[in-house]
Amino acid sequence: MVKKTINLNVNGKQYELEVEPDIKLVDLIREKIGLTGTKIGCNNGECGACTILLEGEPVASCMMPAFKAHGKNIITVEGLGTAQNLHPLQKAFLAYGAVQCGFCTPGMLMSAKALLDKNLTPTEQDIRQSISGNLCRCTGYKKIVDAILAAAAELRGEHEVKWPVTTGEDVVGSSVTRVDGIPKVTGESKFANDYYFPNMAYAQALRSAHPHALIKNIDIEKAQALAGVLGVYTSKDIPGPNIVGIMPHIKDTPVLAGDKVRHYGDAVALVVAESAEIAEEALRMINVDYEPLPGVFSVEDAIKEDAPKVHEGGNMLLHRKMYRGDIEKGFSEAAVIVEDNFKTRMNEHAYIEPEAGVALYEGGILKVYTITQGAHYHRGEIAVNLKLPVSKVRVIQTTTGGGFGGKIDVSLQVLVALAAFKTGRPVKMAYSREESMITSTKRHPYYMHYKIGARSDGKLTAVQAEIYGDTGAYSSHGPGVLTRTAASIVGPYEVDNLKVDAYCVYTNNPVAGAMRAFGSPQASIAYEALMDELAQKLGISAVEIRRINGYKKGSVIPTGQVLTDGVGFMETFDRVVEKSGFNR
Amino acid sequence: MYWENYYLPETVDEVLKHLKDSNGNTRIMAGGTDLMILVRKGMVKTQGIIDIGNIKELKYIREEGKYIKIGALTTHSQLAESALLKKKARVLALAAGCVGSPQIRNAGTIGGNIVNAHSAADTAIALTALNAQARIKGPEGEKEKPLSELYTGVGKSFVDPTKEIITEFVFETPGENESTAFMRHAKRKALALPILNLGVWLKTNSGKNILEDVRIAVGPMDYKPLRAVETENMLKGQPLTEKTLKSAQETIIKEIKPRDSFQGRAAYKTDMVKVFLARAIVEAVGDLGGRIDG
Repeated sequence: MVKKTINLNVNGKQYELEVEPDIKLVDLIREKIGLTGTKIGCNNGECGACTILLEGEPVASCMMPAFKAHGKNIITVEGLGTAQNLHPLQKAFLAYGAVQCGFCTPGMLMSAKALLDKNLTPTEQDIRQSISGNLCRCTGYKKIVDAILAAAAELRGEHEVKWPVTTGEDVVGSSVTRVDGIPKVTGESKFANDYYFPNMAYAQALRSAHPHALIKNIDIEKAQALAGVLGVYTSKDIPGPNIVGIMPHIKDTPVLAGDKVRHYGDAVALVVAESAEIAEEALRMINVDYEPLPGVFSVEDAIKEDAPKVHEGGNMLLHRKMYRGDIEKGFSEAAVIVEDNFKTRMNEHAYIEPEAGVALYEGGILKVYTITQGAHYHRGEIAVNLKLPVSKVRVIQTTTGGGFGGKIDVSLQVLVALAAFKTGRPVKMAYSREESMITSTKRHPYYMHYKIGARSDGKLTAVQAEIYGDTGAYSSHGPGVLTRTAASIVGPYEVDNLKVDAYCVYTNNPVAGAMRAFGSPQASIAYEALMDELAQKLGISAVEIRRINGYKKGSVIPTGQVLTDGVGFMETFDRVVEKSGFNR
Repeated sequence: MYWENYYLPETVDEVLKHLKDSNGNTRIMAGGTDLMILVRKGMVKTQGIIDIGNIKELKYIREEGKYIKIGALTTHSQLAESALLKKKARVLALAAGCVGSPQIRNAGTIGGNIVNAHSAADTAIALTALNAQARIKGPEGEKEKPLSELYTGVGKSFVDPTKEIITEFVFETPGENESTAFMRHAKRKALALPILNLGVWLKTNSGKNILEDVRIAVGPMDYKPLRAVETENMLKGQPLTEKTLKSAQETIIKEIKPRDSFQGRAAYKTDMVKVFLARAIVEAVGDLGGRIDG
């Protein structure tokens, strides 16, 4: 391809570069100019992490050919302020806790700057409108809005943002300065995809074309012959057992599927090439001969006697029993019994930073810079599958752009390690948003049947529940999640007689694993609705029935544990009632 | 690799020359907010791009005689913030302000929005309610087409961006006793395609109690913005009363054909179109200082 000259001014500095005519603005900024504060979250113009100012206006640089900026002025987060001389917006983001994972922060700051450049007296509505193209999964936006209001006040010359938040040593009980905050507001924080090494190659995985199928053959010949391809690997190339899994006793997830695929997210081959584009082209040249199998896509179907088996041992991964007291006696003492069925859906964590990692194999040491919520676990899986001693594997957690439980499982860590191990080159692997959604774990969809009894004074007497969790193609944290649900079957409410049967079931759906509060939220959908129904039938208020049953010091939870100190439920509940004004 | 050549012409004549020379291998890009996705997904293939973003002669919103004229490269942000449109053709300013997000509105243009040929594109609904014409320049010279004739199928435009270019949209400036309104319903307030959108232009008598003329555009119903012609005919000459609105609601649900989609179910859209139609008429009439009589 014939290169073309582009002239542009970035953060006040003039650049003249020879680049490919189809390079995108975000890639030019990150890779040719080296300013990695501008992030790629979706590559689709939806998330706003790539927001920069073009002639003062916020635009999505992932959606823009670089040449649209030819002859123009650009400001990125690096042009806002420095660690020594923070812009009021940067100070306010730190002071108000508007920075958490930090991945949306640069784009958010750019949108905020564009607003304040035009309007120093914005209303909350103006601010919400101005950041409506910037997604954040950590803060819930409130802190960001407050920070922008505070920065506007300082820029108007009214009152300065208090920064740093804490100076002394007495930090207990007071807001503290975020330890990794400053690099997150200046764009200097290095997330996994921000690492570049000389001579770096790129890896991409071929994903399954079927939710359930036997693999008859994988033909990699054409892909291997493509110029720029350094290697194409399948399950046969993995030195170790080719199996991972966060539950030590249920390792069921192949790194590269060998004889069978169990969901669309399964990787069947790995390509390493000189560029991500070549790797992508090579993926299209791999021919996989599948024999599609009937699949199971719901718990109802998966537990039928004649259901297709996702794994050889059958689809029932776990039956967790939580029985205590005398359930029949409990229901016989009840003045009112309520009973219903509930269903919840799958949730995606949707952290704004997609999975990424860079691996280097130098001097017998395999080093992996990667997103992770479990560096030691990932190190172990890499070592076992590459047959390396653990002492030869380093996993370095890079600044991680949101996890919420979704970055605990192995995603690309073993794959990118394999790529570096085989080729001897530094190798980067970065998922697209689509690949992230297809492959990452989800919140378990639940099917629940509940029966709860209560005395006429509102005290719960018995709970009976059957819970089915769809863990998808692989276990992940499934058994742990279902066990947690059983242990918090009526959340923070006391009950002495209970019979809970929780089942974790395999299907050909996306894998479900850990997600914020790990099995408790699904149950709350069911029992909170039933608590309201009990209250109605008993003629007491929804607040009162919760006060009567809420955990206090000395309460016994479903597992039999006696709560001694720091229970805190009643105080929390009272504050919520007070603040919300709820009184029914 | 997306494309091999990239041109940044500064005049429409240069664009036409590039198009002629490239023989269908090169296509026009305006803001690129839709095209970049299509190219990345391999749904559009092209050897070259003619980026028309630098053509100053296509960026304007102005009133000329009886008409408002809008250059095809005007961005959604410029439309949404235009004092002229806010005052005289609010339907278009409101519609443009609903598109995507600030980032998308700053890049995306009205011409691109129309050539992308999404039947529920907000500006298309507004332009249809305004009875706009598009001016197109191509190898055979210049032609004018009503907006409704720019759609040839689902996502297919009459305008071929490898051969011709939309330069301008023109519509009659709403005058005395004329007003417009825009309604939109989506799952989120930003970055969401509409479940339903509806634009209205109407004209009352000087007493503001009789509807003399009306145009109603609805999306997403068909491969193009739908004009609710039967409802319009039913409404013409009717007094502005609750009873008239009720009849209009009953008429419009017979003439629209919503489909179940990712955005919403047909039954829901049918219920909502009744609400939107009534609200739009109430708002437009209210804007003229009139009101609906019980």
